[in-house]
Amino acid sequence: MLGYIGLELRRTVRDGGYMVIAITLPVAMYLIFSSLGLIDEDGGLYMLVAMAAFGASGAAFNNGSGVAEDAAVGWLRQLRVTPLGPVQVVVSRAVVGMLVVLPAVVAVLTVGGLVKGVELAPWQWLSIGTLLWLGVAPIVLFALGNGFLLSGKAAPLANSVLNLALAILGGLWLPTSDFPGWMATLASWTPTNRYAELSWDIVLGGSPSAMAFAVLGGWLVIFCGYAVFGYRRARLS
Amino acid sequence: MIELTGLAKSYGRARAVDGMDLTIERGQTVALLGPNGAGKSTTIGMMLGLVEPDSGRARVAGLDPVQAVRQGKVGAMLQEGRLIERVTVRELVGCVAGTYPAPMPVGHALELAGLDGLGGRRADRLSGGQVQRVRFAMALVGDPELIVLDEPTAALDVRARQGFWTGMRAFAERGRTVLFSTHYLEEADEQADRVVVIARGRVIADGTSAEIKNVVGGSTVAVDMKELTAAELAELPGVVQVEIRNERARLHTRDADATVMALAGARAVHNLEVTGVDLESAFLALTEVA
Repeated sequence: MLGYIGLELRRTVRDGGYMVIAITLPVAMYLIFSSLGLIDEDGGLYMLVAMAAFGASGAAFNNGSGVAEDAAVGWLRQLRVTPLGPVQVVVSRAVVGMLVVLPAVVAVLTVGGLVKGVELAPWQWLSIGTLLWLGVAPIVLFALGNGFLLSGKAAPLANSVLNLALAILGGLWLPTSDFPGWMATLASWTPTNRYAELSWDIVLGGSPSAMAFAVLGGWLVIFCGYAVFGYRRARLS
Repeated sequence: MIELTGLAKSYGRARAVDGMDLTIERGQTVALLGPNGAGKSTTIGMMLGLVEPDSGRARVAGLDPVQAVRQGKVGAMLQEGRLIERVTVRELVGCVAGTYPAPMPVGHALELAGLDGLGGRRADRLSGGQVQRVRFAMALVGDPELIVLDEPTAALDVRARQGFWTGMRAFAERGRTVLFSTHYLEEADEQADRVVVIARGRVIADGTSAEIKNVVGGSTVAVDMKELTAAELAELPGVVQVEIRNERARLHTRDADATVMALAGARAVHNLEVTGVDLESAFLALTEVA
């Protein structure tokens, strides 16, 4: 299983073009949004978390799409005739997903601290770093399920659209406080919104709500089942 | 090592495998020979636990196929399939090796598969023949008791084929069981201890390659039935199989000359017709009987 995780990690890291975009896009968007005149200090903190979350979510969805491409070339079928079991394949791929989100999170937070001069207590940096990393797990599993169930062409498309839709609806581009009432309610049920909310609460001087953990935990369970179901039903060629 | 009993699988209304019974002993090299669409891949899919049978049972190494695969008793080279991008040959084969309980050294597997010197090459930058050899290396690197190869030489030229079979024999000599499918009679003949001919999802002949060739590779002598009974016709020299239809006997023979001479001796030559049998029509003839 470790060998498989290592192999998939190397494949992602070696995709130089992808790595540059995956890191540059959220950093650039953070720099642009946080430098707009109408953004105050809290707005800057909001954008720091939002863009780190957006970068992580993008990497998670990309990891899921990679699985569909593996299925298309017959790699998943090859894995199925090795001793690696379904749960091990899903877990390995989820671990890979959890690791490939890290560069974007680290890059945005580093740029925030070093370039934009964001000042947070060490425990705050540590907390948001951890939460922005681990909180992305439901999204990693959701993207994996899509990758297993959809074709090599459909999965990247679906995952890109979902990435944007969940980012916008989850308030990663514009705060949900600017949304009409019904949309704000809907937003509060998205995994992206609750995922970022954990860290927003910390940087804006509070602590994460139990509700945020509950909603995110619910999605984690659902998408975990979805990913395993997806692998069992996966298109093998 | 492999035990199939009454195995059946349909796709919609098409019966891909239709009551397959087959037992393969440990250490044998067996060819599954049949024309395209005979049910070879579906049979292999069920042996590997990739395809769920509608009825019947497949056992591999005494286990359910999925369990046999999980325990590392099986290695497989499936039909088609490209290699994944951005990994080297050694990394790819090494990754598969790592999933088995007692794999052989990766370098040894590369050597057996004829990949020496290519370990550092990117897997997505190989020729068709090299890709096939990497897929072979992935099948054998776990040093499993059984390897299953689905049309392993389909994409290879003559020279690459020879290299491939050399590697396969070297693996089989370790006392391993090898099952491969092919639609080339010569390959089955040259490479296998035992040939199982399948058509329309059933086993229609089973034996050493010499025995099979007698059935599928000989000639057909047709005569009107008058003097001799079916049992007497079957006793004629060279005759391996007798078909009777509309008072006319079609004798599959491995020695048409001897059969015709014997018919003449019995004064039983009426509307004699002798035809050579090519593989495809032999399959069709056999399935009509089956």
